[in-house]
Amino acid sequence: MTGSSQDKAPLLEVSGLSVDYGLKGVSSRAIDSVSFALRAGEAVGLVGESGSGKTTTAMAIAGLLSPNARVSGGQVCYRGNRLPIEDDAAMRPHRWSETSVVFQGAMNALNPVHRIIKQIAEPCMLKLGMPRGEATARAGELLELVGIPADRGAAYPHELSGGMRQRVMIAMALACRPSIIIGDEPTTALDVITQAQILKLLGELRSQLNLALILITHDLSVVAESCDRVMIMYAGRIVEDGTVAEIFAKPKHPYTRLLIDSIPNPANGKKMIRPIPGDPPNLVNRPSGCAFHPRCPSAMGLCATDVPSFDKFGRSRVACHLHRSSQEDKVAAHA
Amino acid sequence: MPDNADILRLESLQVHFPIQGGMLDRVLGRPVRAVRAVDGIDLNVGRGEIVALVGESGSGKTTLGRVITKLAQPTGGRMLFEGRDMTSVQGSSALRPYRHRVQMIFQDAYQALNPRHTVFDIVAEPLRSLRLVENGTQLAERVSEALASAGLNPPGDFFSRFPHELSGGQRQRVVIAGALAVRPELIVADEPVSMLDVSIRAQILQVLVDLRDKHHMALLFITHDLPLAWLIADRIAVLYLGKLVEIGTADEITFNPRHPYTVALRNATPQIGGNAGRAESPALQGEVPSAARVPKGCRFHPRCPLAFDHCREEEPPPIEVGPQHLSACWLANDGRSRSS
Amino acid sequence: MSDAIVPYSPRGRARAIKGFLGQFLSYGGAQVGLVCLVFFLVVAAMPNILVGPLQTAINATGEFLEPPSSQHLLGTDEVGRDVLNLVVHGARISLTIALLATVISLVIGTTVGMTAGYFGGPVDVWLMRLTDFFFVVPSFVLALVITPVVLEVIGRGRDILGFRPSLFVIIVVIGLTSWAFVGRIVRSQTLSLKERTFIDRARVAGSSNLSIMVRHLLPNLVPQIAANGALVVTGAIYVETSLSFLGLGDPLQPSWGTLLSLAQRAGAASAGAWWYLGAPGLCVLTVSLSFVLIGNALEDTFDPRRRVIP
Repeated sequence: MTGSSQDKAPLLEVSGLSVDYGLKGVSSRAIDSVSFALRAGEAVGLVGESGSGKTTTAMAIAGLLSPNARVSGGQVCYRGNRLPIEDDAAMRPHRWSETSVVFQGAMNALNPVHRIIKQIAEPCMLKLGMPRGEATARAGELLELVGIPADRGAAYPHELSGGMRQRVMIAMALACRPSIIIGDEPTTALDVITQAQILKLLGELRSQLNLALILITHDLSVVAESCDRVMIMYAGRIVEDGTVAEIFAKPKHPYTRLLIDSIPNPANGKKMIRPIPGDPPNLVNRPSGCAFHPRCPSAMGLCATDVPSFDKFGRSRVACHLHRSSQEDKVAAHA
Repeated sequence: MPDNADILRLESLQVHFPIQGGMLDRVLGRPVRAVRAVDGIDLNVGRGEIVALVGESGSGKTTLGRVITKLAQPTGGRMLFEGRDMTSVQGSSALRPYRHRVQMIFQDAYQALNPRHTVFDIVAEPLRSLRLVENGTQLAERVSEALASAGLNPPGDFFSRFPHELSGGQRQRVVIAGALAVRPELIVADEPVSMLDVSIRAQILQVLVDLRDKHHMALLFITHDLPLAWLIADRIAVLYLGKLVEIGTADEITFNPRHPYTVALRNATPQIGGNAGRAESPALQGEVPSAARVPKGCRFHPRCPLAFDHCREEEPPPIEVGPQHLSACWLANDGRSRSS
Repeated sequence: MSDAIVPYSPRGRARAIKGFLGQFLSYGGAQVGLVCLVFFLVVAAMPNILVGPLQTAINATGEFLEPPSSQHLLGTDEVGRDVLNLVVHGARISLTIALLATVISLVIGTTVGMTAGYFGGPVDVWLMRLTDFFFVVPSFVLALVITPVVLEVIGRGRDILGFRPSLFVIIVVIGLTSWAFVGRIVRSQTLSLKERTFIDRARVAGSSNLSIMVRHLLPNLVPQIAANGALVVTGAIYVETSLSFLGLGDPLQPSWGTLLSLAQRAGAASAGAWWYLGAPGLCVLTVSLSFVLIGNALEDTFDPRRRVIP
């Protein structure tokens, strides 16, 4: 974990991952050729609207795809080893020990009839083979780590507030000392002030434990404040990927730009709303070419027919014909 | 822009839900405890004005919206609509004139639409119940008009559809059309965009702003999102634990908040480009207490970074800190702005 | 704007019903159940055409306890009546009793359950105590008590609403003793529906309580009512069979239960007259089973978790 060579090599590498869902004989592609790398200690925000494939991507990485999902291409490698993401049983040693998930609905994920300390101690006993006493002690430490006094461990889930329950979920996720935490909308159900507390906690834990974080959210402003890098997904594909500073200052993909413009931001003082026309795409009838073209204000003829590939701009990449042409124009102009 | 005459006026409005005590409590004559969901709120909404109610869960913002739309009954105070006391009016026929003028938009459009009714029936329901149309042609005209105003074009295409055949944004438009159909003067919108995808939100907000601009409707916009309130509202009222802590114009509340809670709320809100205030003031500790156990004195004092002895003893009244700007904090006029 | 106006048509509803039927009929259970049920309904609708008038000891056509033959497909009983003739006529009585009792049960159960659930408070408490009472009243005891009283008042020969008094009593008794179950289910469903926002919306739209119950609650309760209604029919058939078997039926209008009772008393079991006991018994079993199959298929069709929402 401490070796610098390991820090440079990607911790997790997703290449060309495609997942299909079969429903009543109709197959629809939830994510299509998704590729990215995650380094140790890095925080990546995976942003998209409903149906963008952000949750499917994360669940595929954790090996938690639903039974009607099928990996139709690509692979996920963890520290250079290919993960058996389609095989639930084979993923079991990896899950929680290497990659943990913090879900949105903490109330549903906790067992209402057990004290929380027992629920945190359980993975320690099962995965790390700790005896009960040691596991309980570790659970107490974990509670302290997430900002809950250890003596609150005797409480039942319903006795805790939403924010506290989410902290318990984080403690459980940390139980087996993973290197990657996937947060699936971990703060969506929480109030603004509680959300700030949880995001702060995640940030602290990340630097303390050198955790890599994949934060799935629909809220760009959450990513802006808590991640190093952001990947924007639309209709199952990554459309833009880059550092938070770059993307929010100079979004290149029209979708990213419109998304940023549709978030009210008192800091820039402009009281205007710019609606993105149209509806989010339907996965069964995905638009041809660039999936965003029916809603894109800068769509060209090419966009309806050809799927754009990635173009690199420094540390970011964008999949949009607009930028390809401008680049080629520039090249042509130089020549 | 708002006229001088207020359309809605709340005077120390109160909603207390008694907690069912056990048999033993009753025998021993213990006092009945209550959840003080709304605990004395004064608020006025002008004609054609957009007022945002901002608060966290448990602040009483939703209960207040339900009282104004007559879905809940206040236990104290008065509610005046165009000068008429509506506090104790009840029953569907007595409320008909009020329902004609005050409508509601709900947060979860999927829940708010009866899955077994068509879009036409849904939008036509208030027109039929309130007897606002004389015949079928008129009904169809009004329904078409409402659907078109809510941005569902052409309206005829949606008449015979069921809610589950619509997208999330379209469903919220149907809810809006249902509220619009009666041409109300005040619409209470309870978190109308919080369940929608980001790219759809702006479309729906545009529809709401157009209503005010074109039809001069007043809007009470309930939200937990301060930047959103700033974007859409003329004035913002901040609620904490059943009470207004600060009220003022949208710009004043956003850029010059004078109540420590408003400051905390603003600083906790994530922002693109970073939140300037975040680093300077510490994040608020703890969570909103239960409305069944409201702290003595200023109800914010247990979490307030600036609390001093007086705050624990006496509840601060709304103090004028600027034109149209009130803050219920003993330090509101302390010279320096709370924002820094 | 006027050019955009399209006259309202019930197209959506027709489409929804078509979709529902399509899905319902895709279940194997529903197909088997429907075929059986239609067969018995047809039989019950025209017994005279199929097997001639009801045979009595006077116009009996066969010998005593004759086993099945080409003449008497299901054999004969102890007075020489054709069992097929009796079973076909019995279908009419049994199905009428079961269906009418179910209607009574569903109407009372839905009204009580919906009112209790919607209004809550003291209304709920008192209606539920009433439901509890009917929940525990045994239909046999009630029938045993009521039948003689009604017969005393009305007289044996007269009829009530076209039914002989003893049949009418059985219908009412089954209806009265089976609605409590429906009432409880409808109430619990109403309690959860009531919390849905569309009820609030209806109130803001100015709808009265009655209109909310009829236009918003009832259509959403139909799936539950229909699925459980099929089970109520099954229950009614059994109760009717048992009551008649105990001798509370009407020997002049024999139902399947009455036939079983007669067969029992004639010693059909010890005499080896399997056809006499078997024919009505099998009918009861088949009809009950087809209602259960239909009920299950209805439940599966209505279950929102299985419904495809695009």
